Amino acid sequence: MSAYILRRLWQMLPTLMGVVLLVFLLFNWVGGDPAYILAGKMSNPEQIANIRAQLGVDQPYWVQLWIFVKQIVTFDFGASWSTGEAVSHVLATRLGPSLTVLVPLTILETLIAIGLALGVAYVRGSLTDRMVMIACTVGMSVSILVYIIVFQYWLAYKLGLFPVQGWGDNFAENLFHYSALPILIGLVVSIAPDLRLFRTFFLDEINQDYVRTARAKGLSEPTILWVHVLRNAAIPVVTHVMSNLPALLIGAFLIERFFSIPGIGREIILAVERSDFPVIKAITVYVAAATMLFNLLTDLLYKAIDPRVQLE
Amino acid sequence: MSKPTINAPARPSPGLWALAWRRLRSDRLAIAGLLIVACFLVTLLLSAAGLVARNWDAEVGVNYAPPTFVGAQSAEERGVEGMNAPEAAVPDNPRDPLAEVLRKLRAERGAGAAVAPPLDYYGIADPLAPEIAAIRAGEGKAAPAVALERRATLPFGADKWGHDIILKTIKGSETSILVGLTSALLATVLGTLFGAVAGYYGKWADDVFNWFYSVFTSVPYLLLILAVAAVLQQKGVLTIVLILGLTGWTGVFRLVRAEYMKHKAREYVQAADAIGASDLRKMFVHILPNISHIPFVQMSILTVGFIKSEVILSFLGFGVPVGVTSWGSMLNEAQNELILGKWWQLTAATTAMAVLVTSFSLFTDALRDALDPKLK
Amino acid sequence: MDPNTLLSVRDLSVSFRLDRRAKEPGFAAVKGISFDIPENTTVALVGESGSGKSVTSLSILGLLPAENATVQAGSQIIYGGRNLLELSNDELRRLRGRDISMIFQEPMSSLNPVFTVGHQIAEVLRLHMGMGQRQAQARVLELLAEVGIPDPLAKSRAHPFQLSGGQQQRVMIAMAIACNPRLLIADEPTTALDVTIQKQILELLAALQDKHRMSVLFITHDLAVVGEIADRVVVMRSGEIREQGTTEEVFQRPQDAYTRALLQCRPPLAHRPRRLAVIDDFMKPGGAPPATEDRPRGLNGGEPIILEVKQLGKSFFSRQGLFGRSEFKAVEGVSFKLARGKTLGVVGESGSGKTTVGLTLMRLHEATAGQALFEGRDILSMSRGEFKPYKRRIQIVFQNPYASLNPRFTVGQILTEPLLIHGLGGGDAGRGRLVRELLARVELPEASYHRYPHEFSGGQRQRIAIARCLTMKPDILICDESVSALDVSVQAQVLNLLQDLQDEFDLSYIFISHDLAVVKYMSDQVMVMNEGQVVEFANSDDIYLRPQHPYTRRLLAAVPSADHRIRAQPG
Repeated sequence: MSAYILRRLWQMLPTLMGVVLLVFLLFNWVGGDPAYILAGKMSNPEQIANIRAQLGVDQPYWVQLWIFVKQIVTFDFGASWSTGEAVSHVLATRLGPSLTVLVPLTILETLIAIGLALGVAYVRGSLTDRMVMIACTVGMSVSILVYIIVFQYWLAYKLGLFPVQGWGDNFAENLFHYSALPILIGLVVSIAPDLRLFRTFFLDEINQDYVRTARAKGLSEPTILWVHVLRNAAIPVVTHVMSNLPALLIGAFLIERFFSIPGIGREIILAVERSDFPVIKAITVYVAAATMLFNLLTDLLYKAIDPRVQLE
Repeated sequence: MSKPTINAPARPSPGLWALAWRRLRSDRLAIAGLLIVACFLVTLLLSAAGLVARNWDAEVGVNYAPPTFVGAQSAEERGVEGMNAPEAAVPDNPRDPLAEVLRKLRAERGAGAAVAPPLDYYGIADPLAPEIAAIRAGEGKAAPAVALERRATLPFGADKWGHDIILKTIKGSETSILVGLTSALLATVLGTLFGAVAGYYGKWADDVFNWFYSVFTSVPYLLLILAVAAVLQQKGVLTIVLILGLTGWTGVFRLVRAEYMKHKAREYVQAADAIGASDLRKMFVHILPNISHIPFVQMSILTVGFIKSEVILSFLGFGVPVGVTSWGSMLNEAQNELILGKWWQLTAATTAMAVLVTSFSLFTDALRDALDPKLK
Repeated sequence: MDPNTLLSVRDLSVSFRLDRRAKEPGFAAVKGISFDIPENTTVALVGESGSGKSVTSLSILGLLPAENATVQAGSQIIYGGRNLLELSNDELRRLRGRDISMIFQEPMSSLNPVFTVGHQIAEVLRLHMGMGQRQAQARVLELLAEVGIPDPLAKSRAHPFQLSGGQQQRVMIAMAIACNPRLLIADEPTTALDVTIQKQILELLAALQDKHRMSVLFITHDLAVVGEIADRVVVMRSGEIREQGTTEEVFQRPQDAYTRALLQCRPPLAHRPRRLAVIDDFMKPGGAPPATEDRPRGLNGGEPIILEVKQLGKSFFSRQGLFGRSEFKAVEGVSFKLARGKTLGVVGESGSGKTTVGLTLMRLHEATAGQALFEGRDILSMSRGEFKPYKRRIQIVFQNPYASLNPRFTVGQILTEPLLIHGLGGGDAGRGRLVRELLARVELPEASYHRYPHEFSGGQRQRIAIARCLTMKPDILICDESVSALDVSVQAQVLNLLQDLQDEFDLSYIFISHDLAVVKYMSDQVMVMNEGQVVEFANSDDIYLRPQHPYTRRLLAAVPSADHRIRAQPG
């Protein structure tokens, strides 16, 4: 087992280097000399010269790359070009709010989607099944922007059921008061695609031979679904949920932006709008690393739920 | 020796696509979806050719003109009171360098022009307009009616500047659909090519492409798009297409690669090897027709996804440049209009997009079922 | 109804809709059949593919897919005085696994991969017998021992994939007999197993049946197996019953032409007719197999040698631990000589390496050791470029007729392609003519040219595959289990075709199969392989009459034949 983990970590290095290279190429080569961006933000020429020296823009590329790598390893990217806040501080403080919305959202949406998908799988082929699927398709064709705009307008602004935006200092307050509508919107948007996907997983399993054996043993349909099929379908479901998580972090950016939740997603939008390279670079590299670690975690989890898997 | 019999029809037998089409034909929902998508495409072509919606940016309605079925509203109802009132619209800007000049001009002309100063693109009354009108009148030319004849209602209302919503929606579809289709095409072609090479040759080719794949998928998709958008300063449809296409190939790659690996071990490929077929021949003459349904279906799925992504990008301002309209920019404007109670732009953009995406999705689902080799 | 009758099928008709949306029933799989299963009897339901035997067995327990199968009104399945087809779902469920249980063909996929074996057996105990956890666990161990699984405690905690095919089937049987059913339905339970394992499973089933005094409905396509274990036989073809009666009646005094054909189409072990009888010989009026003399086979040492293989070896490597790799020797030290115009048979069970030998000679796998001298030159060590002209001279017919033809090519394209690649045929017209001649030679109608493979049956597809090989006029043809996937009647046709071609074109065959009777019939010499090595090599008659190696003897003993019954004939 530990040999496997070591080998995987070792294999991650080329990919991480690839991401670093990609980010570097994008921002240091294509992006070019940031002086013109900085000039609009800070009027102090010494400051600009300082940053340019830090980045080493007049140095050969491999020196710049080395500087970048050092920054990654030491978690020190300097300061944000627009707010002057230390980038590491930015990352550290924004993670919390993002997770406060995302974790409950993921748990709720997975459970609800599984339950609904099982229900739909039970009545597969019927009119209900088709209607639900069409409803999902229609629901998915409306942009998330519309859901946010309309829900925010109706439920928060007009009916006053939720706060229109904002964030507090108290965790409980954040979780139940400020996150409620964002989580609701997140649920509405993500249940439809997950329902469709999980339904496919369940139907694939229902057609397997072992289900026929279970019927031949005299088990009832609900038992077969909840015990046999679910246990097998859990494998692709878990894979899907786990591999989606890091993307969710960024995907919630719209919600964060509209509701002024100080999370990573909103930070990235602001950074892109302001061409704040250090923040963008840092977030990209660390999220990529997190994704790779998550994949490793997923594979280990795989072993726990699928006895056929041999980690070699 | 006896001859075995085959129950063979007299017509030439159908291939995969003909069979799929037959199955598809009987699915009414799929055909409806296809027809609707076709309508959108036809509208798109007409719009691109300039045959419809050419003057979408003409300000033909009053600001925030409501839809005809709602009925005209007075200026106060429309919340634009104060925008047309000539005097109030020209606040005295203490730092206005022209203030002195204006005061002198007005004094010279005496009672100001009875014509209401027109609003420019930004809805701001042009303080110099009466003077220019006067100058033009003085030049002896027939002063064109500077204030346009604006209608009180339009079929589906107007936006802040009085543009016809319907024309805007039509024109906007151009951007969204074109971006969606071309990026999907680019991503599918790349993904299929890479997947074929990686899946077929394996070993080092596979390693190289897998490395690319890992790098691109480690960075969450939207993050990658935003990062690239941040760096590329010039905006435009080509940029978006490139961004979406160059980052979106990973899904197709994974599927095509898996299929190539599976098919390469199949006996018909071994048989092709046995008769002496070359690698290229095996890859593209033998295997590709057997998996062609996958890139096809994936391209439809990607198109839908990219239309939605383009809308989001345009909304955020990273999409099309200012002079062009798209559904995303319409939604952007709509979010402020909603507070004012103007819901028509939001509804138009949402409905158009929802109808297109739903039809496309329904058609894609049916297509996937029809092409599914398992049914054989 | 005879008080001795356990289950009675009356006028059963089942039809399938091919398309989800079609309103009318598509095609009739079972057309009004009736038969009885008496108490304490093994009834064999025999038929080739498409006969409707599996559909019949599934309909007893109501396991047909509801979406596209319809049981027609008027059908009856009487058990315990009630018509099973009219029972509610709940009532049916009470019967399943308790009164009537079923085992299937593929044990690996029929077991749930994520639960332990013990859990799955205990499930049926808890459900029908209301046993608690401990009680069930104890009973599970008893059952595992009864079905002959060594070390029951350890195995009960294992997952299905950790067991061999034979052991998995034993687990399925344990699950099926756990509640002492009156009837066990076995749907081709041994078809997917090696012949030595098959024998063990058949013996196990016979022993269990005696001990528990239950009835067994045994579905199979293999008449020889029927002869070994069944008391009564029901022969089906295309959804109808052609004949039924006691085993003795059916085997010794078959009334129906089809039954007679089935009995005669298998290559007999005792002698070797020049041509095998085919179904059509019997189905025409006054039908009888053509009288033929025997065909002598065997080499006497003086024949010209076309291929000489020395110490052929092929290993597969996989990664192990952090840095190491492990070697799996699929083929090791295989040597033989192939004479021109003669057939070498290669026999072995799964995992013996016989298929790998064929693929390595074609250079579809690269050998890790050894030489293959063809006309004096070692074809294994040549570069790919040098080997190219030799490629057309050794060809292969694969096992799976459904996978070896490209589904997107028409037959014409499939047959023309080799000519294009090797530059044969001289022009489109010439190639077209050649292809049509070949189609005629393998007895396919000319209209096949424009058809797709999915429109043909398994036997016809193998003919197409053979025709494809013939386009290049090869010297050596490797038949890798080429008839194993075909029904008995079709098998005979294809074997006859192969023999005719060998006679006409002086082809040399390497005939690979697990089916000893077929190999003996087709081959001059036989090479027996086990776990990658050759254990015996002799003329085919000698192998069968005087087997030397213990493995060969075991193999021969396991071949099912009506001559040695496992169960005593009833009364």
